[in-house]
Amino acid sequence: MLSGTATVDDLMAHAATMADFGTEACVLPGAQVFQVMVETAVTGRQTSLPAGLHPTNPPSMVLQAWQCPESPWGAFSIAMGRVQCRSGLRPRGFVQACVVDNADAAGALAARWGFPARVGAVTLDVGYHDTQLTVDVDGARVLDVRALDPIPLGADDVAFSGTLTLAHTPRGPRLVQVDTDLACERAERLVATMPTIDGAALGLHPSVTVTHPVSASLSRGTLTLQPLRYVCRPDELAFTGTESTKD
Amino acid sequence: MAPCPHWCQPPGHRFHARLVTLRGVKFGIFFEMSTPRPFTPEVEGTVLHNALAQARLADELGFDWVWAVEHHFLEEYSHCSAPEVVLAAVATQTERIRIGHGAVVCVPEMNHPIRVAERCATLDLLSNGRLEVGTARSSTWTELGGFCVDPDQTKKTWDEFVHVLPRLWADGATSYDGHSFSMPERNVLPKPVQKPHPPMWVTVTSPGTELDAADRGLGCLGVAAAGYAEQERRTKEYFRRIEQCDPVSSVVTAEVTTLNFMYCHEDAAVAAKAGMGMVGTFGLANSHLMWTREAYPTRAYQSLGNLAPKTDRTPTGSPGDRFGIPEGICVGDPDIIVAALKRWEALGLTGINFLLNCVETIPQEEVLASMRLFAREVMPHFRSASSGAGA
Repeated sequence: MLSGTATVDDLMAHAATMADFGTEACVLPGAQVFQVMVETAVTGRQTSLPAGLHPTNPPSMVLQAWQCPESPWGAFSIAMGRVQCRSGLRPRGFVQACVVDNADAAGALAARWGFPARVGAVTLDVGYHDTQLTVDVDGARVLDVRALDPIPLGADDVAFSGTLTLAHTPRGPRLVQVDTDLACERAERLVATMPTIDGAALGLHPSVTVTHPVSASLSRGTLTLQPLRYVCRPDELAFTGTESTKD
Repeated sequence: MAPCPHWCQPPGHRFHARLVTLRGVKFGIFFEMSTPRPFTPEVEGTVLHNALAQARLADELGFDWVWAVEHHFLEEYSHCSAPEVVLAAVATQTERIRIGHGAVVCVPEMNHPIRVAERCATLDLLSNGRLEVGTARSSTWTELGGFCVDPDQTKKTWDEFVHVLPRLWADGATSYDGHSFSMPERNVLPKPVQKPHPPMWVTVTSPGTELDAADRGLGCLGVAAAGYAEQERRTKEYFRRIEQCDPVSSVVTAEVTTLNFMYCHEDAAVAAKAGMGMVGTFGLANSHLMWTREAYPTRAYQSLGNLAPKTDRTPTGSPGDRFGIPEGICVGDPDIIVAALKRWEALGLTGINFLLNCVETIPQEEVLASMRLFAREVMPHFRSASSGAGA
């Protein structure tokens, strides 16, 4: 099995700092989750991941945005770039890029779940025919994704892999497993195009190069961020490097 | 003319299967051609030649089938992208064992149905009428995406293929105007030895596909290890449904097989150490496949394979979890394996296929020794009237 070859330091550029793992669940009702699956160039499949994670075949990334009208920090939208991988046997998305349009939400997501959150403009426009996600950082457009022709799906037809963030923690650098549940009420598949993506400005590892979008989906429902249960040493395979947050 | 070994009815007659097992449970070996890195010609060649040696020995020992999968781009997991070539070699190096094309991916971007018919007929001729034709639609995005296949279409094209192939084999000049392909009147050549055509199967990974098999009179080629209870449910439902099937041709293949691992050694502890290493390695490789739903949300692939990784958050969802050991694994000394197989046989299965190795974790000589011990000590418990079994 291939494993990542990136040094942990290389991946910590935007890493959050967490004081502890004792966060409580957070319920986000009425959320819209927009997800775009893209394939990425083979040249970066190992260099964008730490040694504790395995790349997918083909290498891939998920751009995921949540539009949350209600939260403890007010309405917010977040856009993430997640390099798809395996942690042990399990499919995961390793969050390398994360932009949030609400500073309070960004701070909480970083401190409680380890998201490498930066503040920027995140806009998710959802229409009956088309959906557009744009992200601006420091006044520059770094992501523009458009999706057309929604096809209704069943609530369970969209697969969401688990989320991993990499953060400074009291135990040192750790991959933090963020368990999110979406009680999906409605889902659609769309056809995506990506007129703009500036991976480096978005926060992705420089070796991640998008080749083509595969699919897009839009789901609506209640999103819950669960309490943390597991963290992993980033430079060790999950079979031996996994730790319970309770230990 | 070689008769098809399965029950035949005149074309157009509704089939009513006789639910009897004509002989004891049958055993096959199953090739994924999993290959360790680095992918040099020496390594890939060794895997192929080891498999051929296993096939020759299986033929000699009295195994019933040798199956070879069709997979593409699945690094390490399976380098068996040209099974028809592998099976041609098997056919010419064996005399008795049946040749399982398990399975041909029935999507036109990968295999044109005319070419499938031609290749299968040629294999049936080369093997003197020993071919079994498995059909499938592929379940990973790695493969479907690599051939630019629309996942929403694969169930439809598979259905079209399994209905058309019997005509291409059995009829003379044939024309066809269909959904995924059309052809003017042509005589597809050569024709198979088995008349009207070789037995046909469907690979079953997801729950429910066994019903597609039953409804069409096709054999159920299990390629994911279900537990005892789930396998019993599937088997009963399959045989219940196939009684009223509307078969794709006059040939009905009323068989249910499952996939297992085999490592047989006189010392159970030795067997467990080597065999469970193989099982765990396979589980890891399998969990790293990119199943279609992970990349492409669709109703056409609603269920991941049984051996697929868990995608959701579960109470025990630690990334530190290792691959669990499926029920009834045939790893152990002969007594342990006989006991496991008796339980599988009692569920009504007609056959069990075995993976013998995974990325060459077990040395070839040990694999061959395991096969010999299995044939000598295990097979006789299941072969009251079988042919060819022996050490």
